[in-house]
Amino acid sequence: MSEKELGEHIITIDNVSKTFVGGVQAVKDFSTKIRRREVVVIMGPSGSGKSTLLRCLNGLEEPDSGTIVVDNIPLDDNRKNRLEIRKEVGMVFQSFNLFPHLTALENVNLAQIRVRKKSQKEATRFSMELLNKVGIAEKSGNYPAQLSGGQQQRVAIARALAMMPKVMLFDEPTSALDPEMINEVLDVMKNLATEGMTMVVVTHEMGFAREVSDWVIFMDEGQIVETGTAEHFFKNPQEDRTKLFLSQIL
Amino acid sequence: MSEEIKARISPFHWLRQRVFLFRHPWIDIVEYVALIALIIWLMSMSTARLGYYWQWFRVPKYLFQIKDGRLIVGKLIQGLFFTFRISGVSLLLAFTVGLTTALVRLSGSFMGRILSRVYLETIRNTPLIVQIYLMYFVIGPILGLGRFGSAVLALTLFEGAYLSEIFRAGITSLHKGQWEAAHSLGLSGFYTYRDVILPQAIRRILPPLTGQVITLIKNSALVSIVSLSDLALNAKIIAADTFLTFEIWFTAAAIYLVITVALSTLAYYLEKRFKILT
Repeated sequence: MSEKELGEHIITIDNVSKTFVGGVQAVKDFSTKIRRREVVVIMGPSGSGKSTLLRCLNGLEEPDSGTIVVDNIPLDDNRKNRLEIRKEVGMVFQSFNLFPHLTALENVNLAQIRVRKKSQKEATRFSMELLNKVGIAEKSGNYPAQLSGGQQQRVAIARALAMMPKVMLFDEPTSALDPEMINEVLDVMKNLATEGMTMVVVTHEMGFAREVSDWVIFMDEGQIVETGTAEHFFKNPQEDRTKLFLSQIL
Repeated sequence: MSEEIKARISPFHWLRQRVFLFRHPWIDIVEYVALIALIIWLMSMSTARLGYYWQWFRVPKYLFQIKDGRLIVGKLIQGLFFTFRISGVSLLLAFTVGLTTALVRLSGSFMGRILSRVYLETIRNTPLIVQIYLMYFVIGPILGLGRFGSAVLALTLFEGAYLSEIFRAGITSLHKGQWEAAHSLGLSGFYTYRDVILPQAIRRILPPLTGQVITLIKNSALVSIVSLSDLALNAKIIAADTFLTFEIWFTAAAIYLVITVALSTLAYYLEKRFKILT
C-alpha cells in the first residue's frame, strides 16, 4: 500500500500529556510524527486516550504539556495560530454533529461562506461537487433528520472537506452506524486516501486499516504500545497487550 | 375467549368503552359553556346583593366612538396604544439585555460572569414596583431620563434578567457536539452563535419566551404608578370618574386577555412553522 510518495512531516506531536479534571490521565508523554499523504489508524481499548489525542490535534482539547505542530503552525496560546489550524484540519465525529436546522447543502456551505468568505453561488457549486463525490447530491435539500446515519456521516465528511483541509481527523466515524451503512462511509474514506489526503483515523475497522492505512498505532493508557504496518500489526503483534486486544475484536 | 378470561374482565369494561365514545369535543364545549354560565350567574347574584347597577351601555364610548362620521379613539384604546408602545420598546431592549447577559454569563470572563450574576440576582429578588419607583425617583433624574425613559429602563432591566436565564437555558441545552463541529470548521465565536447555536436555541425556548413577553405586557400595567397613561391607569381614571367600576375593569381585563391570547396563538404557529426535525 505504501507505494505512494509520502511528503515531509505535517503533524509533529512531541511529549503531549493531557489529564482531565478529576485526575484521569488520558494521554501520557505521547510523541509521534505523521507525513503528508499518510493514512494513520489509531486503535486501542476504550479509555486508552485515542479520541483525546485526536481532539488535541485541532484544539478541541488543550494538552497540559508538550507541543503539537500542524503544517508548521504551532498549536499554542496564540488565537491566530489556533484559528489557522482549525481551518486546515477537518474533523469527522462519531455522532456526525450535523447542524439539524440546516439542510445538507447548507451544512456544507456554512463555513465556506463564513470562514472562506465565498459567495453563496461559489460555495454552492463546490458543495454540490463534494456532495456528488460522497454520493449524496440528490439529498442536498434534505435536513439531517431526513437522512440515514450513513448519509449523515457522508454529509459530515463533505462539510469538513469544504474547508479544503490539509489533514482530516476521523473520530470513530462508523461506530454509531448500522452495519449495512458502514461500508458506504468507509468507501468515501478510501477514495479520500487514494486522492492523497493526510488522514488520522480512530477506528476498529480492521478491513479499512489493512486496505488503506500506511501504519497503525496501538494505544493503551494514553501511550503507544506498538506501531507498525497493518500487515505486521494484525499478523505478527509483538506486545501481549496488543495480542489480547486483537483477540477480543477479531 | 375462555370463560376464565371472560370472568376476569372488569365488569365496567363495557361501560367505560361506551362512555369513552361519548367524549365528543362538543361535550367538552357544552360543559365549558355551562361552567361559564354558572360563574356569571353567581356573579350577578352577588352584585345584585351589592345593589350594583350594571350599565354596560356606557362602556363602548371609552373604546371607540363615531362622531360626525369620524372614528374617535376612546380613552381605553388610547391607553392600550401606550401599553403597546412601552411594552414594544421595553421588549426590544430587554431582548438585547437578556441575550447579552446570557452570553457574558457563558463567556470565559470571570468578572463578566460575576457581574451578570449580581445583576440577575438583584433584579430577580426585588419587587418590580420598587424598581419602578427607584428608577423614576433616583436613577432616572441622574441619567436625565424622563417619566417614559425611567419606566422603560425599569421594565427592560426586570424582563432582561428573566430573559437572560431563558436564553442561557436554551443555549446550554444544545449538545456540545454542535460547538465542536462549528469549532472544527473554523467558525468564529460570533458566527457559531449566529448561525449554529442561536437559531436552534431560540426555537427551543419559544414557549418560555412567549410566557415572558406576555408577562412583560401584564407587568407594564405597573407603570401607571408613575402616572403614565397606559391601559391600566386610564381604566382606573374612568372607573373613578364614572363609578362603572365592574364594567371598566372587566373590559380592561378582557383587552389584556385578547392581546396575550393573540400572542400565545402566534407563538404556537411560529413553533410549528419553525420546528426542527429530530
